[in-house]
Amino acid sequence: MKGAILKVTENVANPIINFLEKGLDKKCFDAVLIPVKVPVGNSFAWVLIQNKSLLEDANPLPPVMPVQGAKALSSITRMGKTNKKIAAIMRPCEVRAAVELSKLEQVNLENIFLISIDCPGVLPLKDYLERPEEAMDKFNEILLGACPERSRRAQNDIEWGNESTRPACQVCDKFVGTDLGFCQSDLHIGILGTKDKNIFLIPNNEKGKSILNKMDIEAEKSMDNWEKKAKELMEVRKKKKKEVQERLKFKVMGIDNLLDVFSNCINCHNCRSACPICYCRQCYFESEKMKLPSDDYLMRAKSKGALRFLPDTLLFHLGRMTHMSLSCVGCGACEDACPMSIDVAQIFSFVADNSQGLFNYIPGKNAEEPLSLRIYKEDEFHEVET
Amino acid sequence: MKDEFAPKIVGFLCNWCTYAAADLAGTSKLKMPPSLAVIRVMCSSRVDPVLVLRAFLRGADGVLVAGCHPGDCHYEKGNYYARRRFALLKSVIETLGLDSERLQLSWIGASEGPRFQQVVTEFTDKIKKLGQNPMQKKTSL
Ligand code: SF4
Ligand code: SF4
Ligand code: SF4
Ligand code: FES
Repeated sequence: MKGAILKVTENVANPIINFLEKGLDKKCFDAVLIPVKVPVGNSFAWVLIQNKSLLEDANPLPPVMPVQGAKALSSITRMGKTNKKIAAIMRPCEVRAAVELSKLEQVNLENIFLISIDCPGVLPLKDYLERPEEAMDKFNEILLGACPERSRRAQNDIEWGNESTRPACQVCDKFVGTDLGFCQSDLHIGILGTKDKNIFLIPNNEKGKSILNKMDIEAEKSMDNWEKKAKELMEVRKKKKKEVQERLKFKVMGIDNLLDVFSNCINCHNCRSACPICYCRQCYFESEKMKLPSDDYLMRAKSKGALRFLPDTLLFHLGRMTHMSLSCVGCGACEDACPMSIDVAQIFSFVADNSQGLFNYIPGKNAEEPLSLRIYKEDEFHEVET
Repeated sequence: MKDEFAPKIVGFLCNWCTYAAADLAGTSKLKMPPSLAVIRVMCSSRVDPVLVLRAFLRGADGVLVAGCHPGDCHYEKGNYYARRRFALLKSVIETLGLDSERLQLSWIGASEGPRFQQVVTEFTDKIKKLGQNPMQKKTSL
Protein backbone atom coordinates (compact mmCIF):
# COMPACT_ATOMS: atom_id res chain seq x y z
CA MET A 1 0.00 0.00 0.00
CA LYS A 2 1.37 3.38 -1.02
CA GLY A 3 0.35 6.89 -0.09
CA ALA A 4 1.40 10.39 0.81
CA ILE A 5 2.36 11.80 4.19
CA LEU A 6 1.21 15.25 5.30
CA LYS A 7 2.56 17.03 8.37
CA VAL A 8 0.29 17.81 11.29
CA THR A 9 0.67 21.37 12.51
CA GLU A 10 -1.86 22.08 15.28
CA ASN A 11 -4.21 19.12 15.11
CA VAL A 12 -5.16 16.40 12.67
CA ALA A 13 -7.89 18.55 11.13
CA ASN A 14 -5.43 21.17 9.92
CA PRO A 15 -3.63 19.34 7.14
CA ILE A 16 -6.97 17.96 5.97
CA ILE A 17 -8.51 21.41 5.72
CA ASN A 18 -5.41 22.69 3.92
CA PHE A 19 -5.64 19.81 1.53
CA LEU A 20 -9.30 20.60 0.78
CA GLU A 21 -8.53 24.29 0.28
CA LYS A 22 -5.84 23.40 -2.17
CA GLY A 23 -8.22 21.05 -3.95
CA LEU A 24 -10.72 23.87 -4.37
CA ASP A 25 -7.94 26.18 -5.60
CA LYS A 26 -6.73 23.72 -8.16
CA LYS A 27 -10.29 22.99 -9.23
CA CYS A 28 -9.99 19.31 -8.37
CA PHE A 29 -13.49 19.79 -7.00
CA ASP A 30 -15.88 22.74 -6.85
CA ALA A 31 -17.45 22.18 -3.46
CA VAL A 32 -16.86 20.26 -0.27
CA LEU A 33 -19.46 18.40 1.79
CA ILE A 34 -18.15 18.24 5.33
CA PRO A 35 -19.35 18.41 8.95
CA VAL A 36 -19.16 21.89 10.44
CA LYS A 37 -19.75 23.03 13.97
CA VAL A 38 -22.61 25.47 13.69
CA PRO A 39 -21.79 28.90 15.13
CA VAL A 40 -24.57 28.99 17.71
CA GLY A 41 -25.03 26.11 20.08
CA ASN A 42 -22.95 23.01 20.04
CA SER A 43 -24.28 21.00 17.17
CA PHE A 44 -22.61 19.70 14.07
CA ALA A 45 -24.19 19.76 10.67
CA TRP A 46 -23.33 18.72 7.14
CA VAL A 47 -22.48 21.79 5.12
CA LEU A 48 -21.89 22.07 1.40
CA ILE A 49 -19.11 24.61 1.12
CA GLN A 50 -18.18 26.46 -2.04
CA ASN A 51 -16.45 29.42 -0.46
CA LYS A 52 -13.00 28.34 0.61
CA SER A 53 -12.79 30.65 3.60
CA LEU A 54 -15.68 28.83 5.27
CA LEU A 55 -13.69 25.62 5.44
CA GLU A 56 -11.99 27.00 8.53
CA ASP A 57 -14.89 25.94 10.76
CA ALA A 58 -15.13 22.49 9.26
CA ASN A 59 -14.43 19.45 11.39
CA PRO A 60 -13.71 16.30 9.40
CA LEU A 61 -14.11 14.18 12.54
CA PRO A 62 -16.97 15.49 14.65
CA PRO A 63 -17.59 13.72 17.97
CA VAL A 64 -21.16 12.77 17.02
CA MET A 65 -23.17 11.68 14.00
CA PRO A 66 -26.48 13.54 14.10
CA VAL A 67 -27.18 12.87 10.40
CA GLN A 68 -25.60 9.93 8.64
CA GLY A 69 -23.43 11.36 5.84
CA ALA A 70 -24.93 9.13 3.15
CA LYS A 71 -28.28 10.76 3.87
CA ALA A 72 -26.80 14.18 3.27
CA LEU A 73 -25.21 13.02 0.05
CA SER A 74 -28.44 11.38 -1.01
CA SER A 75 -30.42 14.57 -0.61
CA ILE A 76 -27.96 16.32 -2.91
CA THR A 77 -27.72 13.67 -5.60
CA ARG A 78 -30.92 11.68 -5.52
CA MET A 79 -32.25 13.43 -8.63
CA GLY A 80 -29.16 12.55 -10.64
CA LYS A 81 -25.55 13.48 -11.04
CA THR A 82 -24.34 16.86 -9.89
CA ASN A 83 -23.10 19.37 -12.45
CA LYS A 84 -20.16 20.32 -10.27
CA LYS A 85 -17.64 18.13 -8.60
CA ILE A 86 -18.13 17.63 -4.88
CA ALA A 87 -15.62 16.23 -2.41
CA ALA A 88 -17.44 14.49 0.45
CA ILE A 89 -15.49 13.81 3.63
CA MET A 90 -17.16 11.03 5.53
CA ARG A 91 -16.61 8.26 8.01
CA PRO A 92 -16.18 4.78 6.51
CA CYS A 93 -19.70 3.62 7.44
CA GLU A 94 -21.07 6.72 5.74
CA VAL A 95 -19.09 6.01 2.59
CA ARG A 96 -20.29 2.41 2.59
CA ALA A 97 -23.90 3.53 2.98
CA ALA A 98 -23.42 5.99 0.11
CA VAL A 99 -22.14 3.17 -2.11
CA GLU A 100 -25.18 1.05 -1.19
CA LEU A 101 -27.49 3.95 -1.98
CA SER A 102 -25.81 4.39 -5.35
CA LYS A 103 -26.91 0.83 -6.16
CA LEU A 104 -30.44 1.80 -5.17
CA GLU A 105 -30.26 4.87 -7.36
CA GLN A 106 -30.60 7.23 -4.46
CA VAL A 107 -27.07 8.53 -4.61
CA ASN A 108 -25.21 9.37 -7.78
CA LEU A 109 -21.47 9.08 -7.35
CA GLU A 110 -20.39 10.23 -10.78
CA ASN A 111 -19.17 13.68 -9.82
CA ILE A 112 -18.55 12.87 -6.20
CA PHE A 113 -15.09 12.46 -4.80
CA LEU A 114 -15.43 10.25 -1.76
CA ILE A 115 -12.88 10.85 0.96
CA SER A 116 -12.97 8.55 3.99
CA ILE A 117 -11.12 9.01 7.22
CA ASP A 118 -9.95 6.64 9.94
CA CYS A 119 -12.76 6.61 12.46
CA PRO A 120 -12.24 6.62 16.22
CA GLY A 121 -16.00 6.11 16.70
CA VAL A 122 -18.55 8.66 17.79
CA LEU A 123 -20.18 9.42 21.12
CA PRO A 124 -23.86 8.74 21.74
CA LEU A 125 -25.79 11.81 20.73
CA LYS A 126 -27.52 11.95 24.10
CA ASP A 127 -24.26 12.01 26.03
CA TYR A 128 -22.92 14.77 23.87
CA LEU A 129 -26.02 16.94 24.09
CA GLU A 130 -26.11 16.65 27.87
CA ARG A 131 -22.55 17.86 28.38
CA PRO A 132 -21.04 19.06 25.13
CA GLU A 133 -17.78 20.36 26.54
CA GLU A 134 -17.01 17.36 28.65
CA ALA A 135 -17.92 15.13 25.76
CA MET A 136 -15.63 17.04 23.43
CA ASP A 137 -12.71 16.52 25.83
CA LYS A 138 -13.51 12.87 26.06
CA PHE A 139 -13.64 12.58 22.31
CA ASN A 140 -10.32 14.30 21.82
CA GLU A 141 -8.77 11.94 24.26
CA ILE A 142 -10.12 8.99 22.31
CA LEU A 143 -8.82 10.51 19.11
CA LEU A 144 -5.36 10.96 20.54
CA GLY A 145 -5.41 7.43 21.87
CA ALA A 146 -4.35 6.42 18.39
CA CYS A 147 -1.13 8.31 18.95
CA PRO A 148 0.29 6.91 22.17
CA GLU A 149 2.90 9.64 22.51
CA ARG A 150 0.41 12.35 23.16
CA SER A 151 -2.29 10.37 24.83
CA ARG A 152 -2.72 11.55 28.37
CA ARG A 153 -2.88 7.98 29.49
CA ALA A 154 0.46 7.63 27.79
CA GLN A 155 -0.06 3.99 27.25
CA ASN A 156 0.12 1.89 24.20
CA ASP A 157 -3.47 0.76 24.32
CA ILE A 158 -5.66 2.31 21.74
CA GLU A 159 -8.63 4.26 23.03
CA TRP A 160 -10.59 4.08 19.79
CA GLY A 161 -14.03 2.61 20.21
CA ASN A 162 -13.72 2.63 24.00
CA GLU A 163 -16.76 2.34 26.22
CA SER A 164 -17.63 6.05 25.87
CA THR A 165 -18.36 5.58 22.18
CA ARG A 166 -21.62 4.19 20.86
CA PRO A 167 -22.09 0.42 21.10
CA ALA A 168 -22.06 0.23 17.29
CA CYS A 169 -18.63 1.85 17.21
CA GLN A 170 -17.24 -0.36 19.96
CA VAL A 171 -17.66 -3.42 17.76
CA CYS A 172 -17.10 -1.79 14.37
CA ASP A 173 -14.43 -3.68 12.44
CA LYS A 174 -14.72 -1.58 9.29
CA PHE A 175 -13.48 1.76 10.57
CA VAL A 176 -10.96 2.34 7.80
CA GLY A 177 -11.72 3.35 4.24
CA THR A 178 -9.48 1.07 2.23
CA ASP A 179 -9.82 -2.54 1.10
CA LEU A 180 -8.94 -3.46 4.66
CA GLY A 181 -12.27 -2.02 5.81
CA PHE A 182 -14.16 -3.17 2.70
CA CYS A 183 -14.75 0.46 1.92
CA GLN A 184 -14.62 2.01 -1.49
CA SER A 185 -13.74 5.64 -1.09
CA ASP A 186 -11.59 7.34 -3.71
CA LEU A 187 -9.11 8.58 -1.17
CA HIS A 188 -8.57 7.53 2.41
CA ILE A 189 -7.10 9.65 5.18
CA GLY A 190 -5.19 7.59 7.72
CA ILE A 191 -4.46 8.85 11.21
CA LEU A 192 -3.67 5.58 12.95
CA GLY A 193 -0.03 4.84 13.56
CA THR A 194 1.21 8.30 12.68
CA LYS A 195 2.37 9.21 16.16
CA ASP A 196 0.28 12.35 15.86
CA LYS A 197 2.84 14.09 13.68
CA ASN A 198 1.52 13.16 10.27
CA ILE A 199 -1.55 12.03 8.44
CA PHE A 200 -1.59 9.59 5.56
CA LEU A 201 -3.32 10.08 2.23
CA ILE A 202 -4.06 6.75 0.60
CA PRO A 203 -5.56 6.74 -2.89
CA ASN A 204 -7.86 3.75 -3.40
CA ASN A 205 -8.33 4.04 -7.16
CA GLU A 206 -7.46 6.05 -10.27
CA LYS A 207 -9.79 8.87 -9.31
CA GLY A 208 -7.93 9.28 -6.04
CA LYS A 209 -4.54 9.07 -7.72
CA SER A 210 -5.38 11.62 -10.38
CA ILE A 211 -6.52 14.17 -7.82
CA LEU A 212 -3.33 13.77 -5.83
CA ASN A 213 -1.43 14.16 -9.09
CA LYS A 214 -3.27 17.34 -9.95
CA MET A 215 -2.30 18.71 -6.56
CA ASP A 216 1.34 17.68 -7.04
CA ILE A 217 1.18 15.32 -4.10
CA GLU A 218 3.32 12.26 -4.58
CA ALA A 219 1.84 9.09 -3.17
CA GLU A 220 4.83 6.79 -3.16
CA LYS A 221 5.49 6.46 0.57
CA SER A 222 5.01 3.15 2.32
CA MET A 223 1.87 2.94 4.44
CA ASP A 224 3.11 0.00 6.48
CA ASN A 225 2.86 1.75 9.83
CA TRP A 226 -0.72 2.68 9.22
CA GLU A 227 -1.61 -0.73 7.92
CA LYS A 228 -0.06 -2.47 10.89
CA LYS A 229 -2.00 -0.39 13.42
CA ALA A 230 -5.22 -0.68 11.49
CA LYS A 231 -4.92 -4.46 11.32
CA GLU A 232 -4.10 -4.71 15.01
CA LEU A 233 -7.14 -2.71 16.00
CA MET A 234 -9.30 -4.60 13.57
CA GLU A 235 -8.42 -7.89 15.22
CA VAL A 236 -9.34 -6.48 18.63
CA ARG A 237 -12.69 -5.32 17.29
CA LYS A 238 -13.51 -8.57 15.56
CA LYS A 239 -12.97 -10.40 18.79
CA LYS A 240 -15.05 -7.91 20.72
CA LYS A 241 -17.84 -8.08 18.17
CA LYS A 242 -17.99 -11.85 18.53
CA GLU A 243 -18.21 -11.63 22.29
CA VAL A 244 -20.86 -8.93 22.21
CA GLN A 245 -22.99 -10.79 19.69
CA GLU A 246 -22.69 -13.98 21.71
CA ARG A 247 -24.17 -12.10 24.66
CA LEU A 248 -26.77 -10.35 22.53
CA LYS A 249 -28.09 -13.70 21.31
CA PHE A 250 -29.31 -14.57 24.78
CA LYS A 251 -31.04 -11.28 25.04
CA VAL A 252 -32.93 -11.32 21.76
CA MET A 253 -33.46 -14.86 20.57
CA GLY A 254 -36.90 -16.38 20.85
CA ILE A 255 -40.26 -14.68 20.71
CA ASP A 256 -40.49 -13.80 24.38
CA ASN A 257 -37.05 -12.20 24.43
CA LEU A 258 -37.78 -10.31 21.25
CA LEU A 259 -41.03 -8.94 22.57
CA ASP A 260 -39.21 -8.01 25.74
CA VAL A 261 -36.43 -6.15 23.97
CA PHE A 262 -38.89 -4.19 21.86
CA SER A 263 -41.45 -3.74 24.61
CA ASN A 264 -40.49 -0.12 25.09
CA CYS A 265 -40.77 0.68 21.41
CA ILE A 266 -43.23 3.50 20.85
CA ASN A 267 -43.51 2.89 17.12
CA CYS A 268 -42.15 6.32 16.28
CA HIS A 269 -40.14 4.98 13.32
CA ASN A 270 -37.25 7.28 14.14
CA CYS A 271 -34.89 4.37 13.60
CA ARG A 272 -36.18 4.02 10.08
CA SER A 273 -35.98 7.73 9.30
CA ALA A 274 -32.43 8.00 10.59
CA CYS A 275 -31.25 4.88 8.79
CA PRO A 276 -29.33 5.81 5.66
CA ILE A 277 -30.24 2.55 3.99
CA CYS A 278 -34.02 2.33 4.38
CA TYR A 279 -34.63 3.18 0.77
CA CYS A 280 -38.32 2.79 0.00
CA ARG A 281 -39.85 6.06 -1.11
CA GLN A 282 -43.11 4.88 0.38
CA CYS A 283 -42.58 2.79 3.48
CA TYR A 284 -44.94 -0.16 3.76
CA PHE A 285 -45.28 0.44 7.47
CA GLU A 286 -46.56 3.93 6.93
CA SER A 287 -48.80 3.01 4.05
CA GLU A 288 -52.54 2.41 3.88
CA LYS A 289 -51.74 -1.30 4.16
CA MET A 290 -51.15 -0.84 7.88
CA LYS A 291 -54.40 1.01 8.50
CA LEU A 292 -56.98 -1.53 9.51
CA PRO A 293 -60.66 -1.36 10.37
CA SER A 294 -61.57 -1.59 14.05
CA ASP A 295 -63.08 -5.03 13.50
CA ASP A 296 -59.64 -6.36 12.75
CA TYR A 297 -58.33 -5.23 16.12
CA LEU A 298 -61.41 -6.40 17.95
CA MET A 299 -61.06 -9.81 16.36
CA ARG A 300 -57.44 -10.06 17.44
CA ALA A 301 -58.28 -8.85 20.93
CA LYS A 302 -60.98 -11.47 21.13
CA SER A 303 -58.83 -14.41 20.18
CA LYS A 304 -55.92 -13.29 22.37
CA GLY A 305 -57.97 -11.92 25.22
CA ALA A 306 -56.31 -8.50 24.81
CA LEU A 307 -54.30 -6.57 22.24
CA ARG A 308 -51.59 -4.09 23.07
CA PHE A 309 -51.50 -0.72 21.30
CA LEU A 310 -49.84 0.30 19.14
CA PRO A 311 -49.67 -3.23 17.75
CA ASP A 312 -47.50 -4.70 15.00
CA THR A 313 -44.27 -3.30 16.41
CA LEU A 314 -42.43 -6.52 15.79
CA LEU A 315 -43.77 -6.71 12.26
CA PHE A 316 -42.23 -3.31 11.65
CA HIS A 317 -38.80 -4.35 12.92
CA LEU A 318 -38.69 -7.79 11.35
CA GLY A 319 -40.11 -6.44 8.12
CA ARG A 320 -37.51 -3.74 7.99
CA MET A 321 -34.83 -6.36 8.54
CA THR A 322 -36.01 -8.40 5.58
CA HIS A 323 -36.00 -5.25 3.48
CA MET A 324 -32.70 -3.72 4.33
CA SER A 325 -30.49 -5.99 6.40
CA LEU A 326 -28.48 -7.00 3.33
CA SER A 327 -27.32 -3.41 3.03
CA CYS A 328 -27.10 -2.48 6.72
CA VAL A 329 -23.68 -0.94 7.32
CA GLY A 330 -23.88 -1.14 11.11
CA CYS A 331 -23.51 2.61 11.45
CA GLY A 332 -25.56 2.92 14.64
CA ALA A 333 -27.64 5.85 13.40
CA CYS A 334 -30.88 4.07 14.24
CA GLU A 335 -29.86 3.54 17.85
CA ASP A 336 -28.77 7.14 18.24
CA ALA A 337 -32.19 8.22 17.03
CA CYS A 338 -34.21 5.94 19.28
CA PRO A 339 -35.89 7.93 22.07
CA MET A 340 -36.47 4.73 24.06
CA SER A 341 -32.86 3.55 24.20
CA ILE A 342 -33.58 0.29 22.45
CA ASP A 343 -30.50 -1.54 21.15
CA VAL A 344 -31.79 -1.29 17.60
CA ALA A 345 -28.44 -1.02 15.84
CA GLN A 346 -26.97 -3.92 17.74
CA ILE A 347 -29.92 -6.14 16.92
CA PHE A 348 -30.04 -5.05 13.30
CA SER A 349 -26.31 -5.53 12.83
CA PHE A 350 -26.49 -8.97 14.35
CA VAL A 351 -29.24 -9.98 11.96
CA ALA A 352 -27.51 -8.19 9.10
CA ASP A 353 -24.29 -10.14 9.60
CA ASN A 354 -26.20 -13.37 9.09
CA SER A 355 -28.21 -12.07 6.13
CA GLN A 356 -25.06 -10.80 4.46
CA GLY A 357 -23.19 -14.00 5.20
CA LEU A 358 -25.89 -15.97 3.43
CA PHE A 359 -25.13 -14.21 0.16
CA ASN A 360 -21.49 -13.58 0.87
CA TYR A 361 -22.23 -9.92 0.44
CA ILE A 362 -20.48 -7.01 2.09
CA PRO A 363 -22.42 -3.77 1.73
CA GLY A 364 -20.48 -0.81 0.43
CA LYS A 365 -17.52 -2.89 -0.62
CA ASN A 366 -17.93 -2.49 -4.33
CA ALA A 367 -20.26 -0.19 -6.25
CA GLU A 368 -20.17 -2.52 -9.24
CA GLU A 369 -21.29 -5.58 -7.30
CA PRO A 370 -25.07 -6.00 -7.75
CA LEU A 371 -27.43 -6.19 -4.78
CA SER A 372 -28.01 -9.81 -3.82
CA LEU A 373 -31.77 -9.71 -4.37
CA ARG A 374 -31.36 -8.44 -7.90
CA ILE A 375 -29.42 -11.42 -9.13
CA TYR A 376 -29.75 -15.19 -8.80
CA LYS A 377 -28.21 -18.46 -9.84
CA GLU A 378 -30.32 -21.22 -11.27
CA ASP A 379 -28.72 -23.78 -9.04
CA GLU A 380 -28.74 -22.51 -5.45
CA PHE A 381 -30.62 -22.45 -2.15
CA HIS A 382 -32.22 -25.81 -2.72
CA GLU A 383 -32.18 -26.24 1.04
CA VAL A 384 -35.08 -23.78 1.36
CA GLU A 385 -37.25 -25.66 -1.16
CA THR A 386 -39.61 -28.40 -0.02
CA MET B 1 -62.77 -36.42 23.10
CA LYS B 2 -60.77 -33.23 22.71
CA ASP B 3 -60.97 -31.51 19.34
CA GLU B 4 -58.00 -32.34 17.22
CA PHE B 5 -55.76 -29.37 16.43
CA ALA B 6 -56.66 -28.15 12.93
CA PRO B 7 -53.78 -26.02 11.61
CA LYS B 8 -54.45 -22.82 9.76
CA ILE B 9 -52.06 -22.33 6.88
CA VAL B 10 -51.86 -19.29 4.65
CA GLY B 11 -50.86 -20.15 1.10
CA PHE B 12 -49.54 -17.60 -1.35
CA LEU B 13 -50.03 -19.38 -4.66
CA CYS B 14 -48.84 -18.12 -7.99
CA ASN B 15 -51.64 -17.67 -10.46
CA TRP B 16 -50.04 -19.50 -13.37
CA CYS B 17 -48.86 -22.73 -11.81
CA THR B 18 -49.72 -23.55 -8.24
CA TYR B 19 -53.12 -21.91 -8.25
CA ALA B 20 -53.97 -23.88 -11.36
CA ALA B 21 -52.69 -27.02 -9.64
CA ALA B 22 -54.91 -26.28 -6.64
CA ASP B 23 -57.82 -25.88 -8.99
CA LEU B 24 -57.00 -29.15 -10.67
CA ALA B 25 -56.68 -30.94 -7.35
CA GLY B 26 -60.11 -29.59 -6.47
CA THR B 27 -61.84 -30.56 -9.70
CA SER B 28 -60.17 -33.97 -9.52
CA LYS B 29 -61.65 -34.33 -6.04
CA LEU B 30 -58.30 -35.20 -4.48
CA LYS B 31 -58.67 -35.53 -0.73
CA MET B 32 -56.64 -33.24 1.49
CA PRO B 33 -56.95 -31.42 4.81
CA PRO B 34 -58.96 -28.19 4.69
CA SER B 35 -56.09 -26.26 6.26
CA LEU B 36 -55.09 -23.91 3.48
CA ALA B 37 -56.38 -20.34 3.11
CA VAL B 38 -55.37 -19.43 -0.40
CA ILE B 39 -54.16 -16.02 -1.51
CA ARG B 40 -53.66 -15.83 -5.23
CA VAL B 41 -50.67 -13.79 -6.39
CA MET B 42 -49.53 -13.16 -9.94
CA CYS B 43 -46.10 -14.65 -9.31
CA SER B 44 -44.16 -16.08 -6.37
CA SER B 45 -41.87 -13.06 -6.71
CA ARG B 46 -44.81 -10.84 -5.75
CA VAL B 47 -44.62 -12.18 -2.21
CA ASP B 48 -42.72 -9.59 -0.22
CA PRO B 49 -41.30 -11.27 2.91
CA VAL B 50 -43.34 -8.77 4.90
CA LEU B 51 -46.52 -10.47 3.73
CA VAL B 52 -45.26 -13.81 4.99
CA LEU B 53 -44.18 -12.22 8.26
CA ARG B 54 -47.52 -10.58 8.66
CA ALA B 55 -49.35 -13.89 8.37
CA PHE B 56 -46.81 -15.57 10.64
CA LEU B 57 -46.87 -12.92 13.38
CA ARG B 58 -50.64 -12.76 13.28
CA GLY B 59 -50.69 -16.39 14.19
CA ALA B 60 -50.92 -18.45 11.01
CA ASP B 61 -49.72 -21.90 12.03
CA GLY B 62 -47.90 -22.19 8.74
CA VAL B 63 -47.23 -20.10 5.64
CA LEU B 64 -46.75 -21.66 2.24
CA VAL B 65 -45.29 -19.79 -0.71
CA ALA B 66 -45.67 -21.78 -3.89
CA GLY B 67 -45.06 -21.10 -7.55
CA CYS B 68 -43.93 -22.56 -10.84
CA HIS B 69 -40.90 -24.83 -11.02
CA PRO B 70 -37.62 -23.00 -11.63
CA GLY B 71 -37.37 -22.32 -15.34
CA ASP B 72 -41.16 -22.36 -15.76
CA CYS B 73 -42.08 -19.00 -14.25
CA HIS B 74 -44.55 -17.11 -16.42
CA TYR B 75 -42.31 -14.08 -16.04
CA GLU B 76 -39.20 -16.18 -16.68
CA LYS B 77 -37.19 -15.58 -13.54
CA GLY B 78 -39.61 -14.47 -10.85
CA ASN B 79 -39.30 -17.64 -8.84
CA TYR B 80 -35.49 -17.45 -8.76
CA TYR B 81 -35.82 -14.06 -7.08
CA ALA B 82 -38.56 -15.43 -4.83
CA ARG B 83 -36.20 -18.18 -3.67
CA ARG B 84 -33.51 -15.67 -2.70
CA ARG B 85 -36.00 -13.58 -0.77
CA PHE B 86 -37.36 -16.62 0.96
CA ALA B 87 -33.85 -17.72 1.93
CA LEU B 88 -33.24 -14.25 3.38
CA LEU B 89 -36.52 -14.33 5.29
CA LYS B 90 -35.68 -17.74 6.73
CA SER B 91 -32.29 -16.50 7.80
CA VAL B 92 -33.77 -13.50 9.62
CA ILE B 93 -36.31 -15.72 11.35
CA GLU B 94 -33.71 -18.28 12.35
CA THR B 95 -31.22 -15.69 13.55
CA LEU B 96 -33.84 -14.40 15.94
CA GLY B 97 -34.65 -17.88 17.17
CA LEU B 98 -38.16 -17.99 15.74
CA ASP B 99 -39.72 -21.06 14.23
CA SER B 100 -38.74 -21.06 10.56
CA GLU B 101 -40.15 -24.57 10.21
CA ARG B 102 -43.54 -22.96 9.89
CA LEU B 103 -42.57 -21.34 6.60
CA GLN B 104 -42.35 -23.36 3.41
CA LEU B 105 -41.47 -22.73 -0.21
CA SER B 106 -42.56 -25.27 -2.82
CA TRP B 107 -42.71 -25.48 -6.59
CA ILE B 108 -45.87 -27.00 -7.98
CA GLY B 109 -46.58 -26.95 -11.73
CA ALA B 110 -50.00 -26.30 -13.25
CA SER B 111 -50.60 -29.95 -14.12
CA GLU B 112 -49.41 -31.32 -10.77
CA GLY B 113 -52.70 -31.75 -8.92
CA PRO B 114 -51.42 -34.77 -6.98
CA ARG B 115 -48.24 -32.94 -6.01
CA PHE B 116 -50.37 -30.11 -4.67
CA GLN B 117 -52.34 -32.60 -2.64
CA GLN B 118 -49.13 -34.12 -1.32
CA VAL B 119 -47.50 -30.80 -0.40
CA VAL B 120 -50.57 -29.58 1.46
CA THR B 121 -51.03 -32.87 3.29
CA GLU B 122 -47.41 -33.17 4.33
CA PHE B 123 -47.07 -29.55 5.39
CA THR B 124 -50.27 -29.85 7.41
CA ASP B 125 -48.96 -32.98 9.14
CA LYS B 126 -45.71 -31.23 9.94
CA ILE B 127 -47.56 -28.26 11.42
CA LYS B 128 -49.75 -30.59 13.44
CA LYS B 129 -46.64 -31.94 15.08
CA LEU B 130 -45.37 -28.42 15.77
CA GLY B 131 -48.70 -27.47 17.30
CA GLN B 132 -50.35 -24.09 17.45
CA ASN B 133 -48.32 -21.01 16.53
CA PRO B 134 -47.47 -19.38 19.90
CA MET B 135 -47.88 -15.92 18.28
CA GLN B 136 -51.63 -16.44 18.47
CA LYS B 137 -51.65 -15.83 22.19
CA LYS B 138 -49.18 -12.95 22.36
CA THR B 139 -51.04 -9.82 23.24
CA SER B 140 -48.28 -7.57 21.88
CA LEU B 141 -48.60 -8.83 18.34
S1 SF4 C 1 -19.93 2.43 12.97
FE1 SF4 C 1 -18.92 3.91 14.34
S2 SF4 C 1 -16.77 3.35 14.29
FE2 SF4 C 1 -17.70 2.33 12.54
S3 SF4 C 1 -17.31 3.76 10.87
FE3 SF4 C 1 -19.38 4.19 11.72
S4 SF4 C 1 -19.07 5.81 13.22
FE4 SF4 C 1 -17.06 4.92 12.76
S1 SF4 D 1 -30.28 -0.35 10.43
FE1 SF4 D 1 -29.21 1.04 11.86
S2 SF4 D 1 -27.09 0.30 11.83
FE2 SF4 D 1 -28.08 -0.56 9.99
S3 SF4 D 1 -27.65 0.94 8.33
FE3 SF4 D 1 -29.65 1.48 9.25
S4 SF4 D 1 -29.15 3.03 10.81
FE4 SF4 D 1 -27.23 1.98 10.30
S1 SF4 E 1 -36.73 4.61 17.16
FE1 SF4 E 1 -36.90 3.21 18.92
S2 SF4 E 1 -38.96 3.60 19.75
FE2 SF4 E 1 -38.92 4.50 17.68
S3 SF4 E 1 -39.71 2.84 16.34
FE3 SF4 E 1 -37.46 2.64 16.35
S4 SF4 E 1 -37.05 1.15 18.03
FE4 SF4 E 1 -39.15 1.89 18.30
S1 FES F 1 -45.49 -16.95 -12.47
FE1 FES F 1 -45.45 -18.73 -11.20
S2 FES F 1 -43.66 -18.33 -10.03
FE2 FES F 1 -43.60 -16.64 -11.40
